[in-house]
Amino acid sequence: MRAELPRSTVLTRRTLLATLAAGIVSVPARADTRAPRVATLDWALLETLLAIGVVPVAAAELVLFREVAVEPPVPASVIDLGLRGAPNFEALRLARPELIFNSLYYAEAEPKLSLIAPVETISVYRSGGRPFAAACEAALRLGAATGEETAARALIAGVDAELGALKDRLAQRAGRPLLVINLGDARHFRVFGRDSMFGEVLARLGFANAWQARTSYSASAPIGLEALARFPEAFVVILRPVPPDARRILPESALWNALPNVREGRVAVLDSVDPFGGLPTARRFARLLAGALERGRIGAGGVFG
Amino acid sequence: MADLALVRPFAVRRGMAWGALFLLGLVLFALVLVRRPELAGDPATVRRLGDVLLWHSLVPRAATALLAGAALGLSGALLQRVLRNPIADPSTLGIAAGAQLALVLALAFAPALVAFSREGTAFAGGVAAVGLVMALSWRRDFEPVTVVVAGMTLSLMAGAASAALILARGDYVFSLFIWGAGSLHQQNWQPALVIGTRLALGVLAAVLLLRPLNVLALNDAGARSLGVAVGGMRCLVIAVAVWLAASVVSQVGVIGFVGLAAPAFARVSGARRPGEVLLAAPLIGALLLWIADGAVQLASAGDGDVIPTGAAVGLIGGPLLLWLLPRLPHHAPPMQAAAGTRRRLRRPGRALLVLLAATGVAGVAALVMGRDLDGWALASGPVLAELAVFRLPRIVAAVAAGGLLGAAGAIMQRLTGNPLAGPEVLGVGAGAGVGLAAALTLDPGAGTALLVGASAAGALGALVIVLVVAALTGFGPERLLLAGIALGCMGLAILSAVFATGGPGSFRLLAWMSGSTDKVGVDEARLMAVAALVLLAPVPLLVRWLDILPLGAAVGTSLGMPVTVGRLALSLLAALMTALSAFFVGPLSLVGLIGPHVARLAGFAPGRAFVLASALIGAAVLLVADWLARSLAFPYQLPTGLMAALIGGPYLIWLLQRGGGENG
Repeated sequence: MRAELPRSTVLTRRTLLATLAAGIVSVPARADTRAPRVATLDWALLETLLAIGVVPVAAAELVLFREVAVEPPVPASVIDLGLRGAPNFEALRLARPELIFNSLYYAEAEPKLSLIAPVETISVYRSGGRPFAAACEAALRLGAATGEETAARALIAGVDAELGALKDRLAQRAGRPLLVINLGDARHFRVFGRDSMFGEVLARLGFANAWQARTSYSASAPIGLEALARFPEAFVVILRPVPPDARRILPESALWNALPNVREGRVAVLDSVDPFGGLPTARRFARLLAGALERGRIGAGGVFG
Repeated sequence: MADLALVRPFAVRRGMAWGALFLLGLVLFALVLVRRPELAGDPATVRRLGDVLLWHSLVPRAATALLAGAALGLSGALLQRVLRNPIADPSTLGIAAGAQLALVLALAFAPALVAFSREGTAFAGGVAAVGLVMALSWRRDFEPVTVVVAGMTLSLMAGAASAALILARGDYVFSLFIWGAGSLHQQNWQPALVIGTRLALGVLAAVLLLRPLNVLALNDAGARSLGVAVGGMRCLVIAVAVWLAASVVSQVGVIGFVGLAAPAFARVSGARRPGEVLLAAPLIGALLLWIADGAVQLASAGDGDVIPTGAAVGLIGGPLLLWLLPRLPHHAPPMQAAAGTRRRLRRPGRALLVLLAATGVAGVAALVMGRDLDGWALASGPVLAELAVFRLPRIVAAVAAGGLLGAAGAIMQRLTGNPLAGPEVLGVGAGAGVGLAAALTLDPGAGTALLVGASAAGALGALVIVLVVAALTGFGPERLLLAGIALGCMGLAILSAVFATGGPGSFRLLAWMSGSTDKVGVDEARLMAVAALVLLAPVPLLVRWLDILPLGAAVGTSLGMPVTVGRLALSLLAALMTALSAFFVGPLSLVGLIGPHVARLAGFAPGRAFVLASALIGAAVLLVADWLARSLAFPYQLPTGLMAALIGGPYLIWLLQRGGGENG
């Protein structure tokens, strides 16, 4: 387990502005009249930045981000830095950011990032952490660093209010156990636990997470499909992508079709959501989940249609 | 029927022991059944669900374990027979890794292909792998150690390529992890049926091929004179074996070393004739996998297996190879003297200077040429000054690592007299990976200092084990190679078990596996450069040993050389070189194989100039590979090690095919 970074590497807004003022001749007298040029490697930070109206100059792995996280849309002006695990430092240098947001996931890149611009580390996901609170804190810190505190507070309040409204709307289903899973192939799944963003959103919407066992960093290790039989009461929420062979084999599988959840239509496949996202992801998951629950019973064969 | 009569004495002698093991399997299975988790709900639903779980999950799982074990055992027995190689099996020949890479490739770029035929895709990959291994070892007459060295190198390469693909295609990461580690969870009878029918056809083919197989056990000339079409028959048997292994990989993923273990245990139990081994190996393989899977199920608490069965079985591969070492027959082909017709450089010193200058020019080119946000660009002035901070360290790292790998490869080839002995097969790289895996499992957010320390400790541990094993067997060059391979096998099994958990640490491990220089900073680059110079410095002093060792221990002793000390010192040096470069550019790159071969082709005579030329060529290859990796798909970066393997691999095969790979 890793402690939070030493205080000295975490920028306060004041030191940031001082750095900017010292380093850039063209900075106007009132620096906070325009947002600084920022970049990030982390998707949770990227979507939070976009949600508070800050368009970064560069971000990582946009091709996949547009497929997996889907929203918010990334403007074409954002420079793609390549894989999150192997960002292109030259491209980042040429994008000329003034401040880089990073998370502990990509801590290895930090020495090189700090050659380009000051780095602020904000981690939504930490071992044993609580991602929803961390995502709120991340939004506040991103807002503070970019002069968008008001927008950040509005984002937090907006997500809070929307989750509250959805909870009221789904009140008659309150307390029901849900199981949020990913299918690996036709034989395996992994499940998202209480320490995941999805787990926390479930709790905020008034549902119980059927999976009570330990998970590490949000999700469990692969589990055999037969383990689903232990949760006959749960509504099973499957996250995309569903592998092609699972889509083909499961509708014909005797075991799958014998599961009470499947027989009684308590299964839904949600649109793609980033399992390691921030507040916008929490909102997207809640909306998709509410939609799926309200659509109600689906025939067992039609789940993957 | 006649064959069954031959089998009887063997069966009587050892039947009891295997009967006991069968009982053990039954007891484990019964325990699994008894310890099934209780289901909640109304009694009717619970009863119905319990029946479905029993008949569509637990029973087919046992059946799949038995059938897959039998298929792998038969596949291994066929391969060992036809190649006359007691350590051949789908894992050591790269078949499993090739099949897996084909599946990963297909899932990443043509998912429709996987949905259409997983088995066909896996078979194509397995055939490609075994074809490459055969092409690489053809000049050495399929000598067992050479075949396995080629197979394991290929397995490592396929593993790195899979890692790179998994990193680049995030969507199906989870599926790909599961395949790599071979899990036997079942939810219907389909895998059991598929493997079962393939096994039945395989057994039929084996029975039909029994007589020709007996004849093939003689040498090729003998077989030919008895009227057997040697080449065609060999291809046929190999195709059957690959098909069996590919069907297992496509259904349940990679399950390592059952094919190696089953025939070995069959022989130990007294099976002597080919018919006996071919009958006993599938039975033993079935028992092995069944018992292992039962143990894995019992060890898991119901929340997923602690480690997947495939990875668990893979762990036996290493110790098994070590145990088989002393039983290997000594029939390595004699060292071949350098052919008289081969071109030799008259002035190697001048040629070295030319090489040095060429590497320098390439280095400068890599520094100024590249792509920016608008396209290709030559950097100069202030832009160059900005970019040099990023380009220079990786250029230095690539040159240093390439130089070290080239030199280590030259030393290894001279030391073992085997043209395929690259530094990758020393097991040191895999050891470094296991060290990294341990650190990342304990602390997924581990810092760079901890990771360097852990990988160094892993590399050193692997080195000590290899040297101890080699020392116990008198530092014979073959023993050293095989000990390294055995360790590499275990390392791979451990890594695939860690990948299968799919946690955040496994991503950082994957990044290392695929090999990249982009994290190297100024300090690390400086360290690499100094270390490379320090490690390369003693090479000129050891040249005499390097010249004498390939002539054999007897010649060495008669010339007054301390053979054992010499071998120890050279192994240690090569391992240190490999460990250092492995941390920065991943466990493999083929550079250690390519450097020496190109040096020999260019006419560098054995001796000081040869090792230095290998180092320089290795440095140049990795430099160019690094530049391509950084520029080709800009801004997305490709793994440097994989790039080097892609450039060098085909060339190496061509080189070995045309005969340049003999010992010079």
